[in-house]
Amino acid sequence: MENAYLGIDVGSISTKGAIIDDNNQIISSSYIWTQGDPIGAVKQLLHLLEEGFDKERYKIVATGSTGSARKLVGTIIGATMVKNEITAHAVGTTTFYPDVRTILEIGGQDSKIILVENGVAVDYAMNTLCAAGTGAFLSSQAKRLGIEVEEIGEYALRSKHPTQIAARCTVFAESDLVHKIQMGHPREDIIAGVCNAVVANYLNNVGKGKKIISPVVFQGGVSKNQGVVAAFERTLDCKVIVDENGHLMGALGAAILAKRSTKRQEFDFAVEDMEFYTREANCGRCSNNCEIICVYHRDGKMIDSWGNRCDRGAQSVG
Amino acid sequence: MAKQDKLDKKAVKRVDKQTKKESKKARKIAKRARKAEKRARKKGTGAPAITIGIPRALLYFRYKTLWTGFFKELGVETIISAPTDRAIMETGSSLVVDETCLSAKIFYGHVQSLIGQCDYIFIPRISSYGRHRSMCVRFDALYDETCNVFRGTNQKFLTCNVDELKDEKEKDAFVGLGYQLGFSHKQAKRAYKRAKRAEQKKRRQAANETEQLYRREGTKILIAGHSYLIEDAFIGRTVTDYLKKSGVTAIRADLVDQSDALKRSLEISPTCRWEVSREILGSIAMHKDKVDGIILMSAFPCGPDAMVNELLTRKLQGIPVLNLVLDGQTGTAGVETRLESFVDIIRFKEGTL
Repeated sequence: MENAYLGIDVGSISTKGAIIDDNNQIISSSYIWTQGDPIGAVKQLLHLLEEGFDKERYKIVATGSTGSARKLVGTIIGATMVKNEITAHAVGTTTFYPDVRTILEIGGQDSKIILVENGVAVDYAMNTLCAAGTGAFLSSQAKRLGIEVEEIGEYALRSKHPTQIAARCTVFAESDLVHKIQMGHPREDIIAGVCNAVVANYLNNVGKGKKIISPVVFQGGVSKNQGVVAAFERTLDCKVIVDENGHLMGALGAAILAKRSTKRQEFDFAVEDMEFYTREANCGRCSNNCEIICVYHRDGKMIDSWGNRCDRGAQSVG
Repeated sequence: MAKQDKLDKKAVKRVDKQTKKESKKARKIAKRARKAEKRARKKGTGAPAITIGIPRALLYFRYKTLWTGFFKELGVETIISAPTDRAIMETGSSLVVDETCLSAKIFYGHVQSLIGQCDYIFIPRISSYGRHRSMCVRFDALYDETCNVFRGTNQKFLTCNVDELKDEKEKDAFVGLGYQLGFSHKQAKRAYKRAKRAEQKKRRQAANETEQLYRREGTKILIAGHSYLIEDAFIGRTVTDYLKKSGVTAIRADLVDQSDALKRSLEISPTCRWEVSREILGSIAMHKDKVDGIILMSAFPCGPDAMVNELLTRKLQGIPVLNLVLDGQTGTAGVETRLESFVDIIRFKEGTL
């Protein structure tokens, strides 16, 4: 039996999973939409991962979770490593591209930039409160224009004269876009304009003051969009590498982190058939009134809880 | 131009007149209170006649020693509102327009909690301590804003003006304040002097203690932000608590020798005009080589920080910088993700991850 490691990255938009072996080779991987149900998505994801996994040959000895639902999912699958997505991305990317200098990442609700020197992340920045220029913006604009978000890239590449669209703020960008539609700009040009706006917004907000040095790796869901990749290459005037597994980088990073840590616990695919539910409770023991999330098995047994600021809100597990 | 000057003068006169009127009114009330106190003393109860409420928010954290010390020297009782919690923040947010900065929203929550609990609520107008030593305009307007927000209540507010650019010195402001409360010039001056001395001592002490932290072993992170944000029990505490939990020494940039910091701030920006921001800039210039990372912490949407932190993210090279903007979200996930990854990046660099 060889050892294998599972990494799951549950983002706001998509859920990604990968199983790797000791040489960081992908044994099985999958990518599905979260659709506002992280628990359901993970269970479905595990089904898909199980299909491509040779149980006779490998056994999963450590699991890692990352992404914005990392805590919830980590609890459910019994992860040995729960890490934030920035670290996971940095670890994943530097493992596969040891000479990378800049990692650009645009996801569903966040965007980040990680600067790397000699294979070590030295600085990073993340979007602040606002989600302008992320995948959420692109998908809402695609909907407005009546196309699928996957088609944006194709449309954008067809454009010869991208429309200028205000990039500072999503709300302004949207009203500007509506105006341009009504003025009669062709759809391809508008879509290319949206892609340019995403890049301009990213470089102004997240990438400000950061020196972007090649080789540049671009990942996250938005990296699948050819239009945005082209806009980055044009603006940065250098080649932008998009790995075919770029969307899995967070999951791979989580698996690598789980492998690196010494904690071991065998993972059982039986989790996918278990029922879980969560409940939000307001503590009410002081005026902070913390929102506490409790995670239960179907049989009513609580596995974990979080959200309390102090011990007054601590829930007993079991 | 001349006409404008005349208008300005008129406006100044009007404000002066208003302030005079206010202080006259306050003096009258204080006189009555003093008389009541005298009567009470004769009877032997000796209960203090006036209580002054101070909101535990904004500049309280910077000037608490001076303010509470001054009133204590005069024998005036003070009550400080309770540390911020969610209820205070939510009350404050519901009282003022949405664009107000988070810290000010919290301030109004504190004021609300003091209404009816004291005779006066003390809110000084602090404008500047000299050239390139201005305070955020919010602190100049705070007294008047608060009076307006709470105009429906019978609560009385107390103020004094510090604007050294207009030759309104802090000392004179406090002497005037004492006078408003019915104390003699001599009494007020003495109380100010003592309170000021205590404040300077406390600041020096805090600066010295902070200076020691830079010599500690292990990962050190400099937190650059306003004291009212870092010390706030509901907002800033989550950040410092998190860092403590992850075994990082968090060092506050604002606890620093003031004159050194003001001088050194010129290295980063020769034109910055905000006193508090300059102290932080100077502190960063003094300590950036002694720490492993810097967190720029600001409340959304802070005016001075919007400029200063922008400047810093561009000027600080070669050291990890996290620009952390806090708003009234009750979920701490975004903040925790940012802090966790920031600490990870630093450990990554050190090779200890």
